[in-house]
Amino acid sequence: MIELRFHREIYAGEAVDEAVKRFAGFGAFELVEEPSHWLVRFTAKTSARERQVAGEVGNYALGASAERRKGAA
Amino acid sequence: MTASPTIPEALAGADLEAGSVHLLVRQELYPLDAVFAAAFTFIKDCWVLVDRADAERWKIVLTPKAAGRGADELQGWIGSYANELLSCAYRHRLAKENRATVEAVTTQALAGALGPPTLDELEDFDFSNEAFEDPLGIAQSWEEKYAKKPKAEVAPTDEDPGEGA
Repeated sequence: MIELRFHREIYAGEAVDEAVKRFAGFGAFELVEEPSHWLVRFTAKTSARERQVAGEVGNYALGASAERRKGAA
Repeated sequence: MTASPTIPEALAGADLEAGSVHLLVRQELYPLDAVFAAAFTFIKDCWVLVDRADAERWKIVLTPKAAGRGADELQGWIGSYANELLSCAYRHRLAKENRATVEAVTTQALAGALGPPTLDELEDFDFSNEAFEDPLGIAQSWEEKYAKKPKAEVAPTDEDPGEGA
């Protein structure tokens, strides 16, 4: 299991949700809401796959959050 | 965690086991938009995660997608990111400073594209504004100031040379 922590001030919640939905087919996701972070726990068949998919989820959430900021400005 | 040999330890470090490297930057110097913009150029080759290190600093973690990277290569990635971030922050600042000018020019361009005013708009237009005071005649054109007056306007003199001939 790998855990990603997305700061709520930086990442939009909708962007994290969108990223998780996008990669839902690659393993099991668990979302936890903390006061300062969105927590995403991801489990896949192999640790290499976990690492890769978690990284891509992070990139996707970053891009989606940036798009939302741009749209809001 | 290994410190970068060229970037100060307080600003950057590498986790060789995880194959990642991080950079700490001050929020007041590097706005989040610039951090995002710089991150975009690296998402093809790296996994990028942005976090808050403390109340004043962002923490940017880069993990190259290709595994087995050495310390030198990780340092190269974070150095490139730092350069890109500096460039993005500067462009962000320029855009912010020039926003009013850009908006004014755009507004003028769009207003011009709307075409000539309609009769109703002209009817509502206030033409009563007087021109500013110009006692020294500075705003007067050269043609107006030095133009020869037509002969009809010249006052007749008592002795007209034409009459006596």
